[in-house]
Amino acid sequence: MSSIIKIDNLSFGYTSNDMVLEGVSFNVETGIFLAIAGPNGAGKSTLLNLISGTLKSQSGTIRIDDTSIGSYSPRKLAEKVAVVRQEHAPIFGFSVIETVMMARIPYYGSAGFERQVDRDIVNEALELTDTTHFASRPITSLSSGERQRVFIARALAQNSPVLLLDEPTNFLDPKHQVNIFDLLKAAQREKGKTIVAVTHDINLAAQYCDQALLLGTGGSFKSGGVQKVLSTEQIKNTFQVDFFAGAIGTEQFFIPLGKFAKYSTQSKDSPEKM
Amino acid sequence: MSQLLTPGKLIIRITLALGVLLVVMLACSMVGSEKVSLNAVFSRLGDETTTNPDYEIFVRVRLPRIILACLVGAALACSGVVFQALLRNPLADPYILGISSGAGLGAMIAVISGLNWTLWGRSPIAVFAFIGALGTVWLVWLIGRLTGKYYVTGLLLAGVVVNAFFSALIMFLTSITKAEHVQSTIFWLMGNMTEEDFLVLWIGTGCVVGGMIALFFISPQLNALSFGPEVARSMGVNTGKVRILAFAIAAGITAIAVSLSGLVGFVGLVVPHGVRLVLGPDHRQLLPISGIMGAIFLVAADTLARTIITPAQLPVGVVTSIVGGPFFLVLLVKYSRKVSWLQ
Repeated sequence: MSSIIKIDNLSFGYTSNDMVLEGVSFNVETGIFLAIAGPNGAGKSTLLNLISGTLKSQSGTIRIDDTSIGSYSPRKLAEKVAVVRQEHAPIFGFSVIETVMMARIPYYGSAGFERQVDRDIVNEALELTDTTHFASRPITSLSSGERQRVFIARALAQNSPVLLLDEPTNFLDPKHQVNIFDLLKAAQREKGKTIVAVTHDINLAAQYCDQALLLGTGGSFKSGGVQKVLSTEQIKNTFQVDFFAGAIGTEQFFIPLGKFAKYSTQSKDSPEKM
Repeated sequence: MSQLLTPGKLIIRITLALGVLLVVMLACSMVGSEKVSLNAVFSRLGDETTTNPDYEIFVRVRLPRIILACLVGAALACSGVVFQALLRNPLADPYILGISSGAGLGAMIAVISGLNWTLWGRSPIAVFAFIGALGTVWLVWLIGRLTGKYYVTGLLLAGVVVNAFFSALIMFLTSITKAEHVQSTIFWLMGNMTEEDFLVLWIGTGCVVGGMIALFFISPQLNALSFGPEVARSMGVNTGKVRILAFAIAAGITAIAVSLSGLVGFVGLVVPHGVRLVLGPDHRQLLPISGIMGAIFLVAADTLARTIITPAQLPVGVVTSIVGGPFFLVLLVKYSRKVSWLQ
């Protein structure tokens, strides 16, 4: 398998003496679904912003299709990589279809209007994300689950081989969480997309992803197959909290157990007295 | 896909709006303290103009003023649209980044220094106001850049603080100067239409129409930018270039408007929102229609300003606020269920 994203010895810090990422190296093979997991502050979103070109690294290289990310123009990069961010609430009431159509802006004709091919691509993205039936509603009237699907539709409409997502299931209930992961899995299978998703949900990652990158605080990282990376030992060490580990088939799942949890392994005295 | 804007729909709407603008311009040129009949204006075209008072009033008094109102209204409405999109803030108006106080300070300095020359037919007040306006936006932009590459909050705060600082300077200058100077500055600050040379009008029109056309060509990118610069960039928009271009054009046409007519309030805030409420937020449509509606609004407001208390005249800024406020509230209540940022 060839690797569409190659990251070599990447380091980044928001200030020069406080590095968030240090010497991170890994490759993302074409067509896989990769989860980036790790505790808050480990640099997951930073890494995503580096791969999407929003931030520039202090050292190391990021190559997409064997070309350094710095040598892409915004338009050329958008042809390779689409990003679904954690967006603010939109301020203007663009309709769903108008929002998804914005992915095609770099390809508009000289008069500033979309072509038939753009309309076909957008329709396809709406269908894949099951958003066609509310295509004319303003995005400001949607629930957060619906809005997230619209933003994924917009990213799909960029027709890029790589899809990056920053915590796509944040604030969603379990039904909508699996809904989003099903949708991403479908995009991987049917469209051959390479998907890189930052997620807090190691259980969903274990169920849906092929590979995982586990970032720890202080610059440590592990990458590889999901089963190898998301092991009980490594999960406990990385998140620095106790977990109950079980298994569905061959995939492990984890339930975090705090001090006062019912089945906590730590000593607990105060809740009983309350 | 019928809900998407098509070139056909856009052309029809722009043509309709331009038609309304022409009718309003013509109707307003008939209104005033002197009766003017179009028949009389054109029936004796061949004659010496001095023997045709209708022609004199129509061409030398009414027409220049109406063209000026169009120009200023269109410039302010368009730049309001741009600032609201770039700053992602529905409260933004053309003056939000310090243009008003910068222009005011420039005008005040011109009045106090008692300069007495003209530059292409423009008084020192106009020239200094233009320089003050552009200089202030540039200063605010520089300060905003220092706060971070993508953060509009820094830009907005810089604008607010520079505005407050320059307003204090204006007050300081006001309190140490003679009363008659103060009066003329205040009248100017309220926004005021006067009869301008055709040369000035044509240059101004050229700049404003040119700016509007340039803005139209980056209007799809403005749609994307209203989701935030990071989002727009990952969709392939060259955000740096588009933002600087849009800011520069909006600031430039606002400075032109301010130097021609002082600080006419309300147009840049109300007209874009009115159009957005009725026709939606797509900038390819919002920009041209807001420009035309801004022109219609200001021509009508200025006609009221010069006729309502004849023979005296009101500053047009007073009329735009008194008429525009209630009008906007009606639109707001009527269409608010359709609109996003209110929910």
